[in-house]
Amino acid sequence: MPKPTELLPGTLDMLILKAVSLRPLHGYGVLLRIAQISGNALQIPQGSLYPALYRLERQGLIAAEWGESDNNRRAKFYTITAPGRRRLKEEAEGWDRLAAAIYAAMNATASEV
Amino acid sequence: MLTRLRATLVGLFQRDRFEHDMAEEMRFHMRAYADDLQRAGLSPEEAERRARMEFGGVESLREDCREAYGFQWFDELRQDLRYSVRQMVRAPGFSAAVIVSIALGIGANTAIFSLMDAVLFRTLPIADPSSLYYLAHQSAAGTWSTSSNYPLFDRYKSADVFSGVTAYSGETFTVATADGRERVNGQFVSGNYHEVLGVPIVLGRGFSNESDQPSGQPPVAVISHEYWERRFARRQDVIGQILSIGGRAVAIVGVTAPDFHGLDSGYRTDITMPIAVNVLDEPGFLSDREGWTSLSIIGRLAPGVTEGRALAAVDAIFTRFWWEPENAWARDPRSPSEFGRLTPAGKGSGWLRERYATPLRMLMGMVGIVLLIACANVANLLLARASARAREVAVRLSIGAARARLVRQFLTESLLLAGIGGALGLAIAMASSGAILSLFDTGQYPIRLEVGLNGRVLAFTIAVAILTGVGFGLAPAFSATRVDLTQALKESGMVRHRGRLAVGKTLVVAQVALCVLVIAASGLLVRSLRNLRTFDAGFQRDNILLFNLSTGDQSFTPESRAALYEQLDQRLRRLPGVAVVSFSSRSPIDNSAETRGIVVPGFQAPGRHGVSAYVVTPDFFQLFGIRLLRGRGFDASPRAGAPNVALVNEAMARFYFGSSDPIGRTLRFGTEQESSTIIGVVEDSRHEALREAAPATVYTPFWQPAKGLDGKADVRDRVTVEIRTTRSIEALEASVRNEVRALSKNATVWYIRTMQQQLDAALIRERLLAKLSSGFGVLALLLAFVGLYGVMSYRVARRVREIGIRVALGATRGIVLRRVLRETLSVAVAGLGIGLAAALATTKVVSAFLFELSPRDPALFAMVAVLLLVTALIAGYLPARRAAGVDPLQALRSE
Repeated sequence: MPKPTELLPGTLDMLILKAVSLRPLHGYGVLLRIAQISGNALQIPQGSLYPALYRLERQGLIAAEWGESDNNRRAKFYTITAPGRRRLKEEAEGWDRLAAAIYAAMNATASEV
Repeated sequence: MLTRLRATLVGLFQRDRFEHDMAEEMRFHMRAYADDLQRAGLSPEEAERRARMEFGGVESLREDCREAYGFQWFDELRQDLRYSVRQMVRAPGFSAAVIVSIALGIGANTAIFSLMDAVLFRTLPIADPSSLYYLAHQSAAGTWSTSSNYPLFDRYKSADVFSGVTAYSGETFTVATADGRERVNGQFVSGNYHEVLGVPIVLGRGFSNESDQPSGQPPVAVISHEYWERRFARRQDVIGQILSIGGRAVAIVGVTAPDFHGLDSGYRTDITMPIAVNVLDEPGFLSDREGWTSLSIIGRLAPGVTEGRALAAVDAIFTRFWWEPENAWARDPRSPSEFGRLTPAGKGSGWLRERYATPLRMLMGMVGIVLLIACANVANLLLARASARAREVAVRLSIGAARARLVRQFLTESLLLAGIGGALGLAIAMASSGAILSLFDTGQYPIRLEVGLNGRVLAFTIAVAILTGVGFGLAPAFSATRVDLTQALKESGMVRHRGRLAVGKTLVVAQVALCVLVIAASGLLVRSLRNLRTFDAGFQRDNILLFNLSTGDQSFTPESRAALYEQLDQRLRRLPGVAVVSFSSRSPIDNSAETRGIVVPGFQAPGRHGVSAYVVTPDFFQLFGIRLLRGRGFDASPRAGAPNVALVNEAMARFYFGSSDPIGRTLRFGTEQESSTIIGVVEDSRHEALREAAPATVYTPFWQPAKGLDGKADVRDRVTVEIRTTRSIEALEASVRNEVRALSKNATVWYIRTMQQQLDAALIRERLLAKLSSGFGVLALLLAFVGLYGVMSYRVARRVREIGIRVALGATRGIVLRRVLRETLSVAVAGLGIGLAAALATTKVVSAFLFELSPRDPALFAMVAVLLLVTALIAGYLPARRAAGVDPLQALRSE
């Protein structure tokens, strides 16, 4: 099992959007889902998730609704909105470009310079 | 913006729920995590502990969430507001002074604005009002009119630049009711009126293709919503009901929507009938071209037609009509050309706007100044308090509050005060609207306006309140937060803000100057009104009572009508307290005009000319005190077969006969068969407008009507009866009505008034300006007084120590008193000087409303100066006495 990596600044929002874009999740579920889809590579401090969720809700990128959790507890579920989906797409593309650029930079060899 | 709004709304109304949800959500998270940990093998207690620990500090997370959701702004606002309310309650005297100042200032502004809104801004509640135009005509000199006649309307009907052309003519109808007869405002309209205008109909139908020619069908009418309510209590079965109008049975076919009162702004049109009904009484109406009537023509632009193209078409049609020989009567020999003209009709006829736009703008300017004076007061109060709060500000700054945050705090306070003041001002404006409207609600055709709270008025008030709050709050807010910390904390609450006193004094100088402007203008307007009410216009105004009498009912014959007048004349003369009685076609300054075309044989410019015409009984001249200068008057009683005679006034004699003797010369009216011989010359009297010299006027005898072109010689069916009496209108009204009723049930008496009331009805604008501006003048003076008093009191209070030292060093009370008074006067004189200079430069804007008074009248300006100096002395005396009463021992010990 790889060692958990700290998040790059600004990527938490993108990850939350990705997580809730797959299916509606409550806050704890978002945390689990991110851990799961990142192969447990990314660790998010538990509480810090919430200010991010409230910010995304305020921006209208996700919407919240109360529902029942798997074990029949009342929980607040987040779903992605249309603007949220657009934002996720933009951020994902931006991220891809950045990652590709950094990968290319880091794999440069002497002959390419 | 939207998210902030949502945060504010949630914050306002669902804050508890938000907090509760947030707590529950976090609790759920920890519980779920603890469950998972337990499942992984931890003991329940250990799982609980780990979950709680890893989650982090709940309180600070919640704070982060609130901020993330956008509550910070709102929470701070709430804090500021709570703090502001506390500050306000802590200084009730100060708050009351500020709120009252603002309320009066904003109240005056809202009152005038709502009046402007009612008169100037409203559009008619009909379909696409902006494509409607009056088809008017104008002279080369620019005077224009919408008066036309049916033959001209006929020409316009086929103009293809309009999708529809219609016409209307205001009229007053006599309608029989269960207990007598009532006069109802109404109109005759062309048969397509409601359809062309797109008037909303709530019941039945409007007119779309009634015939303008009498068709033998029973007459029909459309009534207003208001009349439906008043007369029929909104009964649904009103359609088909019969009204008896002027003795004729008329069937109601429709009711218009509540907001529609016709096109003549300020009047309520209750009954609308087709022109065909008018033609029954006036057979020549459709073909007569011998004068303009009150018929106004309106066209709706066809789709895609520009105003310019429509104007070209209208002008072509009008010009062809104008130069036809039948229109010679209308052409002024000095400037014979007239042109077609388009005037927007979407806000109704423009007469009300034209008459009142300038007065209302002037009043708006005055209330703007009053508001400025009020703002200066408030700014001064806030500045004074800023000094008192310097220590508080210093403490807050030193424990780390941002200056911006403090400025915001101060602004919130002034906005709160402005908000409360604005709300109160709105209430004042709405409460006073009745009194203002009553100034319009006089005369034979009272102007009825709807002034009330609507979106525009509310938006105006809110905007003014915010502007005031920010305007007078900004400077004190910055000044208050610019504090020298060490000094402020060291001194015991008393901080000298350099320049603050100077600012206060400058504000008061400005207040006095502005106050002079308002008072000078209002003084001029009040004096002019008095001049207009008392100057010699060539006729008596006192002890005269007038009423209108209509014998237009179908049941009258020319003979029975004349008999009624004669009997009434005798009966009225027998009433106690009645000295003279006269009958006439109209009376001086009754807002009527009757211009008749005449031919004067031997006059250098041949052809017809228009003169002002009156039909009067012999006593008319005695009653109004109009002297006979030459020749003889009319015979006291009718003589059969007597030749036609006429009296002329001086202006008429001068214009037509110059230095030669008019007596014995003849003139002939265009509508009469035979000439009349001039038997005398009477004094000029202004009878059409108080401000205009008497027009050339011909008087003909009431009892001896001349034969018209149709060979008939009938007395008028609508007359004014004048009574010279020392009794009051209340005492006589009932007996007058009784006397008329005793003679005939079908004659209608209306608009009983005194001559002075009739004149007042012609001076609505002048009275509106004089009354309101003097009210604003008093307000301005009061506010300036408070400003002076406040600043001087403040200065005295600040200098108690200094005064104490002076007294201890031997200054007498007299010296102290004089010093303060001198200071007050110096401020007042500075303001007065600037104000008088400004007034001299600007009062000419009111000159159009002045009468026999120069806008720079020296006596009036002297009075204004004295008034302000006296006010300043009183304002300064109170604090001066307080200063003189300072006890040196106490003053020195006090700090």
